[in-house]
Amino acid sequence: MQLKNVIDSPCGLRFMLDKLELQSGFARRWLLDSPMMTQGEEIVAAYDILHQFDTFIREVDKTYIDTLLFRLQGLKDIRTTIKNLHNQAVLDDIELFEIKHLAILATDVAKLLDKHGMADVVKIPALDKVIDILDPDGMKIATFYIYDSYCAELKDLRADMRQHPENQDDLMLQASELEEGVRKDLSKQLHPFAADIEQAQIALAQIDVNMAKAIQMREMGLVFPILSHDASSQYESMFHPQVKEALATHGRDFQPVDITYAMQPTLITGANMGGKTVVLKTLTLCQLLFQFGFGIPAAAARIAVKDEIYFCIGDEQSVEKGLSSFAAEMKNIDAVIKASRMNKRILALIDEPARTTNPTEGAALVSALLKVLSGKDMSLVMTTHYDIASSEARRLRVKGFENGEMDYQLVEVQDGEVPHEALNIAQSLGIDSEWINMARSLLGASPQPV
Amino acid sequence: MSIVGLEKNTGKTECLKYVLDRLPVQTKRIAVTSIGIDGETVDQVTRTQKPEIVLRKGMYFGTSETHYRQRRLVSELIDVSDENTSLGRVVTARALTGGKILLSGPSSASSLRRWMSDMRRLGIDLVIIDGALSRMSSASPAVSQSMILATGAAYSANINTLVSKTAHVVDLVNLELTSEKNCDTLSQLDKGLWFIDKQGELHTLDTMTSLSKDIHFQGMEDCETLYVAGALVDGFLEKVRKNKNLKQVELVVRDFTKIFVTPQQFRLFIKAGGRISVLQKSKLIAVTVNPTSPSGYVLDSDTLCARLSEAIRLPVYDLIKNNG
Repeated sequence: MQLKNVIDSPCGLRFMLDKLELQSGFARRWLLDSPMMTQGEEIVAAYDILHQFDTFIREVDKTYIDTLLFRLQGLKDIRTTIKNLHNQAVLDDIELFEIKHLAILATDVAKLLDKHGMADVVKIPALDKVIDILDPDGMKIATFYIYDSYCAELKDLRADMRQHPENQDDLMLQASELEEGVRKDLSKQLHPFAADIEQAQIALAQIDVNMAKAIQMREMGLVFPILSHDASSQYESMFHPQVKEALATHGRDFQPVDITYAMQPTLITGANMGGKTVVLKTLTLCQLLFQFGFGIPAAAARIAVKDEIYFCIGDEQSVEKGLSSFAAEMKNIDAVIKASRMNKRILALIDEPARTTNPTEGAALVSALLKVLSGKDMSLVMTTHYDIASSEARRLRVKGFENGEMDYQLVEVQDGEVPHEALNIAQSLGIDSEWINMARSLLGASPQPV
Repeated sequence: MSIVGLEKNTGKTECLKYVLDRLPVQTKRIAVTSIGIDGETVDQVTRTQKPEIVLRKGMYFGTSETHYRQRRLVSELIDVSDENTSLGRVVTARALTGGKILLSGPSSASSLRRWMSDMRRLGIDLVIIDGALSRMSSASPAVSQSMILATGAAYSANINTLVSKTAHVVDLVNLELTSEKNCDTLSQLDKGLWFIDKQGELHTLDTMTSLSKDIHFQGMEDCETLYVAGALVDGFLEKVRKNKNLKQVELVVRDFTKIFVTPQQFRLFIKAGGRISVLQKSKLIAVTVNPTSPSGYVLDSDTLCARLSEAIRLPVYDLIKNNG
């Protein structure tokens, strides 16, 4: 699975990508094509590199960082040209220019990084020989044409052309044949460096991506996670950057949440508007950020690697496809159950399953789901409003509405009793009192003064 | 500077050639490009002969990959853009010898602006834009400071119609700049309809564009300046003219390329005492004429130049005739 396959997950991953200040379009493409890491060592190695870039941007002078970022803007996507070089095609002037441009850029960036001991973090192959081939006059500037010094005969022809512009068309034709010979020769000389050139292009993209990730960590207050060696994951003061930003524009703060989960299914209950869905969104986001090597939005995080991540939420797209919301949801959860039998490490985050059907069958479906999924090699975090009698699940509850304010913290509870706060919350929203009081009297409670 | 033709075959390319031949390449850094696909050896629409551009040594140029490969001069590559046009990416190069090139530059006004800021970084003194057919946007003051307008028998074969249609465009280009104070207030507003009252307060009209059918000028008795951020169209101009509360109003548009009104409606508005001004203005340097239409019809060059010059109070040149 590549990053581009999950970019539009409803957990809000796109927001993180949009806020990533990459310098080149090629780095963005390379990042979107990168596969999700599923090996612990791989993830540790990726964070190790990011760590060094993080230290680098913290310790090195800003003008220096800006120079490096500005240089990275020059990174172009020349994969087609490199492919032609691999295939021993004769490159044209534009392709030769692209290679020279990349070689000079790679050499400059390598020099900039080397000054601060960063040369070994992301290795850029030395391309001095490539530059020598394409810069016969030693000008060290990133422009290109078939230079006079490649071919004495060509040089004479061009001098002729300047002397006798009236013969230009004729001379031009002769010159173009000589130029083609030079291109053939240059392409042949460059062919052995094709792999190095390709590697240099990727290394530059990797540097661009790591710089952007490190800067994002600083700007959003993200942390480096620790790799969990068992199946448990643990977050301290976890937050959702996009929700946090949206709240900030209304002058409100995001209340961070602590949460831990392992192999035992976790059931989150709590009042409406208690942030249960946001918790699931954030857990999904964090897991994906972890396996694509980004900073984690929390004060501290210890995360277990998974092979597959499922986030099931009322999916509007399926509804657009003509499925009812119930059918869409059932199909999504069905995929989780099927995957749980495939011997893979799975994280499943399910938001209020069966909420659109009647409470009797709904509660039965949820209880049964817990039984079916418990004991599998998976971490399951699920939210619900139903009273579920289950010995399999561990229960977390949103603290809820207290003194007119919502406390979003999660607390561990023993019993299966779900909070009955819907009417209080509706009342605090200023919903019609005739309606709310009628509901209260149906429940046998006395109406409250408005 | 942009060179804009009011119609195909009004001699725009001839005009570009004329200008390029006379620029001081030794003392100034000059870059040439075209907006959109242009510069085929034979005009694709009317099958008439179309000259390639002859560049002089030292000139910079922007063209597509396809046309760069077909160039007939020695040139040094300076940049290849990320943006794709139908003829490939835009390539920037410098001519090391004189020679012929087909021009086909950035395909939109915004990518043209990006290309021009690259040119500024290269220390270019003057960029000349060959504006393609119906791409008046390249002449927008947001892109170019000055312009040359090419008109001719291809635009209209009737000398009276040609003069009046051309004069209309010239009138629009020459619209006065609004006050500096208005400019400060309005230049950041890129959409919608707005007005400034006698107290200098800015108000918005609920309608987003002047194309809307139900525009009501309510509560605008105090309106002094009415600003149309987008396109200005006939129906709207007529409504302003007929509204007695808006008799003294100054109507402001961003620049002349935003005005899409017929000469008749424009004249009626001005005659009724209306005022139109702009936030940004290009300087019109000259008007050139091509008296020959692609169908072979030829107007009398001297009469045409004289009539047009009288109508627009600007020099008018027939470059083909004067250039032998």
